[in-house]
Amino acid sequence: MDSEKKIYDNPRKVIAEALVDLAKRDDRVVYVSCDSSLGASGGPFNKNFPQRHFEFGIQEQNAMGEAAGLAVSGKIPFIAAYVPFAAFRCFEQIRDDVCKTRLNVNIMGNNCGFSVGPLGPTHVIIEDVGVIGSVPNITIISPADGPQYREAIFKAAELDGPVYLRVHRQEARRIHGDGYSLKIGRADRVLEGDELTIIATSTMVANSIDAALMLKAKGISAEVINMSTLKPLDRDLVLESSSKTKKVVTVEEHSVVNGLGSAVANILATSGPALLKKIGIEDNFAVVGEYDELIDYYGLTAEKIFDKIQDFLHREEDDENSNRL
Amino acid sequence: MGKKLSKQERLDLHQKSYEMRTNILKMMRYGEGHIGGAFSSLDIITVLYNKILSHDPKKPKWEDRDRFILSAGHKCLALYVTLADQGYFDTEVLWTYNTLNTRVPMHPDEKVLPGVEFPTGSLGHGLPVAGGMALAAKLDKRGHHIFVLLGDGECAEGSVWEAVMAASHHKLDNVTAIVDRNGLQVNGRTAEIMDTSPFEEKFASFGWEVETIDGHDFDSIYHALSRVPFSEKKPSVIIADTVKCKGLDFAEGQFEFHHWHCEPKNIGKAISSVEEKKKEEGARIG
Repeated sequence: MDSEKKIYDNPRKVIAEALVDLAKRDDRVVYVSCDSSLGASGGPFNKNFPQRHFEFGIQEQNAMGEAAGLAVSGKIPFIAAYVPFAAFRCFEQIRDDVCKTRLNVNIMGNNCGFSVGPLGPTHVIIEDVGVIGSVPNITIISPADGPQYREAIFKAAELDGPVYLRVHRQEARRIHGDGYSLKIGRADRVLEGDELTIIATSTMVANSIDAALMLKAKGISAEVINMSTLKPLDRDLVLESSSKTKKVVTVEEHSVVNGLGSAVANILATSGPALLKKIGIEDNFAVVGEYDELIDYYGLTAEKIFDKIQDFLHREEDDENSNRL
Repeated sequence: MGKKLSKQERLDLHQKSYEMRTNILKMMRYGEGHIGGAFSSLDIITVLYNKILSHDPKKPKWEDRDRFILSAGHKCLALYVTLADQGYFDTEVLWTYNTLNTRVPMHPDEKVLPGVEFPTGSLGHGLPVAGGMALAAKLDKRGHHIFVLLGDGECAEGSVWEAVMAASHHKLDNVTAIVDRNGLQVNGRTAEIMDTSPFEEKFASFGWEVETIDGHDFDSIYHALSRVPFSEKKPSVIIADTVKCKGLDFAEGQFEFHHWHCEPKNIGKAISSVEEKKKEEGARIG
């Protein structure tokens, strides 16, 4: 990929615009915020639709219940807060009031992964997919680029049930073209290959594409799948691709416990004929650092993903040789 | 201001509330239940459904209906017998209480039972949801009212006070909270376990209009409920002083009856006790 042609989008700006466009078309759409909207996606919404923006300050348990009350009354609320407060502080309200009732409440978990590394482990959450994913009825969308973020807003509103949308702070490199249409529950094959399947989500899709191009230079043909819906997972594409390549690597800016890797492992363990390597963050609270420092520290740069994949492929070759002895 | 009950209306409500208590005891043939709070809140719920709420059991999703959320979901025995009596579903459903796949479990489920506005059980959830309903009603310029019944023990939950603060901030005069202040919770006296008092001052300082009533006096209950909102642009709260397990002589005011695992052989004795109480009180209020 030529570096001059790379386009980057700010996810929060994309979401802010999409929410305004959506709200213009559908007067059921309302915005619920917890003292964090202006720096995130709520500013333009508030400017255009002040009557449909409800501020609750620093009280996420109440705000989630209020969102449920709005939704059960026919509104389509989008509620935004930092991931720890959007997903954990009000977890029981999400479970009981939003998911059990299967209401159209759309939760935007802002600053997922290492978005806000210097704020430390109270704000850096690498367990949200596992926690939220354990609840029935909820859909988890983890977009990789601008077009996906925009589509996620429209598709979340359309879906008659709760959605948890992971929103990253980093500028997202454009992967999909104009006119991209997101189908919830369907992954996108963004690079074709036949020797290895790389399944990635969010920020790690761009890094995985770069790693796959490095592998290609070494003569290894890797397929890259952008898994933007983490629940329900695109089981068909995982099985189709892994049946072909027999080797799968998952890459996520999330704990390897109960994230994308675990979800893929669940499919492969029961139905798939492929070996799996999970690349992500080991079961621990993350150290503190700037975004680029953390990505490097945890081995999630394209170069380090490339190295880990090479180790995985070589180890497998060694195993095959030892079996022959 | 406010309406008054006629003597006949008062007697009818009395009759109805004791009929409901008897039905609750009949349900308890089928298992344990939170009888204490059901009996303490029953007179309030009886007035709400018979005299206050604008609702239509034949159209449970009618958009302009008043909403009632039982935030203290464990008191649902009182809600079940009332909804059945109002015609939301067949009374026979009551006799499936706590059996496999029942529509009337120990916490209410809106998916299976018409008339249940919102599922509750975990405490401290009802008032936030009511706030959202009230905001939606304001946005749509609809005139219906949202009533929420809370327990006094429940008010130890922080989320209750988040919602109390927010309802006042958003000027939700279409919300009325009713606190069933029976003074007891699972393990004993609320004042000793976590003192949630003083309610009146707390709610008032959070910007609510407050009225304290005797939660078993039909005139007081009706007088208060028929006057909400007490003030424009402010949410209303009615602090109802009640007696745990009111109407069951041998259990009144005892925390051990918060949740009762009644042996079937004792049901008859309990029904007789309630019948006795009904006569006694009927003579007094008549």
